[in-house]
Amino acid sequence: MGYDKPVPKPNSDTRVFWAGCKDHELRFQKCKECGHVRWPPSVVCPKCYSSETEWIVSKGKGRVYSFVVYHVAFHPAFRDEVPYVTAIVELQEGPHLLTNIVGCKASEIKCDMPVEVIWEDITEEFSLPKFKPT
Amino acid sequence: MGVACLSNYLISYGLFMNSKQLRDKYSIVGVGYTPQGNVPNLTAVSFYLEACVNAILDAGLKKEDIDGLMVYRHFEPLANDTEITPYLIAQHLGIRPSIVGQEANCARGHLINALGLLEAGFCNYVLIAYGDNAFSGRRTFLKEATHGEPEGDNGAFGEFGLVANYALAARRGMHIFGTGPNTWREIAVSQRKWANLNPIAMMSKKGLSYEEYDNAKWLVEPFRIYDACPISDGGRAYIVTSTERARDLKQKPVYIMGIGEYNPSVDVHQSDFMEGPTGAKEAGKIAFTMADISIDDIDACQIYDCFTYTVEVTLQDYGFFKPGEGYDWFKDGRTAPGGDLPVNTSGGLLSEAYFMGLTPLTEGVMQLMSRCGDRQLGPKTDTKKPQIILCSDNGGVFQSNSTVILRSS
Ligand SMILES: [Zn+2]
Repeated sequence: MGYDKPVPKPNSDTRVFWAGCKDHELRFQKCKECGHVRWPPSVVCPKCYSSETEWIVSKGKGRVYSFVVYHVAFHPAFRDEVPYVTAIVELQEGPHLLTNIVGCKASEIKCDMPVEVIWEDITEEFSLPKFKPT
Repeated sequence: MGVACLSNYLISYGLFMNSKQLRDKYSIVGVGYTPQGNVPNLTAVSFYLEACVNAILDAGLKKEDIDGLMVYRHFEPLANDTEITPYLIAQHLGIRPSIVGQEANCARGHLINALGLLEAGFCNYVLIAYGDNAFSGRRTFLKEATHGEPEGDNGAFGEFGLVANYALAARRGMHIFGTGPNTWREIAVSQRKWANLNPIAMMSKKGLSYEEYDNAKWLVEPFRIYDACPISDGGRAYIVTSTERARDLKQKPVYIMGIGEYNPSVDVHQSDFMEGPTGAKEAGKIAFTMADISIDDIDACQIYDCFTYTVEVTLQDYGFFKPGEGYDWFKDGRTAPGGDLPVNTSGGLLSEAYFMGLTPLTEGVMQLMSRCGDRQLGPKTDTKKPQIILCSDNGGVFQSNSTVILRSS
């Protein structure tokens, strides 16, 4: 049976990010003018309005900024997954990324606990960055 | 410039000096209700129309008087219903307003925009409305509060919208200032007691005990089912005009003493101030500056309550208690019937019915018009007879806040 969960839909802004995920790299835009690392991608730095940008690769380390535990499947493909955890991870470089925390029980997760990226190859085309406790 | 000093900056440069001149200059003069709760076999637009007609009649106006029409955003149509637009509503109401508007994506500028139109002279009577057939159209709560087709790439991680979005903020609040379900239980139970005094509340005949709250299923943890508001059929509308014009109308006008709006805008997923302050802090400062009063002058509150936590953090950001002191503040029924500071006296979105920011705002108006029956603030509910009521509306995930201070005439 094929992969039945929603998959990313890259657009002109996010294509580089999802191509990076395929290579197991977390790629973010960094402003060449002020150094701000931004997410989601855009054409202009929200801090200084510079459009001079380079792509950097995150070390993939950060902390759990916040998290929730889904006890209800809002989508049929997640029926066998509940309870599962969605979280915001604050990466060391700055971006806040929506993700899942895996590799531990939901009851063991706390805000601000350190985590690192772990890759889940879901289809030929896509890999998802998930995070586990370090 | 930081968010915190923005309003001080504006105040010191006199931009809000003008707002004080607007104090009490405009009034709400009529409210329209419809049957609500489970009201099957009606389209969404029919609820808008019934609410609008009732508001016009309530104010003692003619339809020709209405020269501004503002409607809330609308979710996707149900049950072969048509797309809700202000044109559709105006057409069916038989009116041709100078100005029509529909807020997108839950920005909550309806009333402040209406005041701008009145002050500039483009309109004389603005009608503001919302309606939906969500309950019988089978927009299940879960579906309404979530995105079946997820926005962006969030669905890839199993993230489906508003319940989890607010739960993320609540979890961060738990971590930073120590709130949690014990506080939210007080809010859910107190509001249910108000609903039990309101015959048209969806939960009018259903009690809610601490035990029921504690034993309820998790929805998206840390939220249980009683932390989230249900959906309903029905509609609600009100009319705003100048206080001068209001004097000739049917109802005792309710003054808009202060109003403020603030849009932090940032998506909760990227917010680095997820635990607050929400837009309520800045919007509240603006509204209180205009009204020229302090929170000590507030007799009751009608707070947008999509989730229990929304009530807590909004009141916290207004300054009713310090971060983390919510439990002590809410316990022992402070906001329930008989309490010092009644909050959400219709039952609110959590226990009355879901009409976006119109549920809290119209309840504030009706209380100040003394038209609330068994739940009327004053001797009937062993509470203070209100002169000033603080109302809030909140949109997106804490992305928009509108704060309105109402005063009886
Ligand atoms: Zn920059």
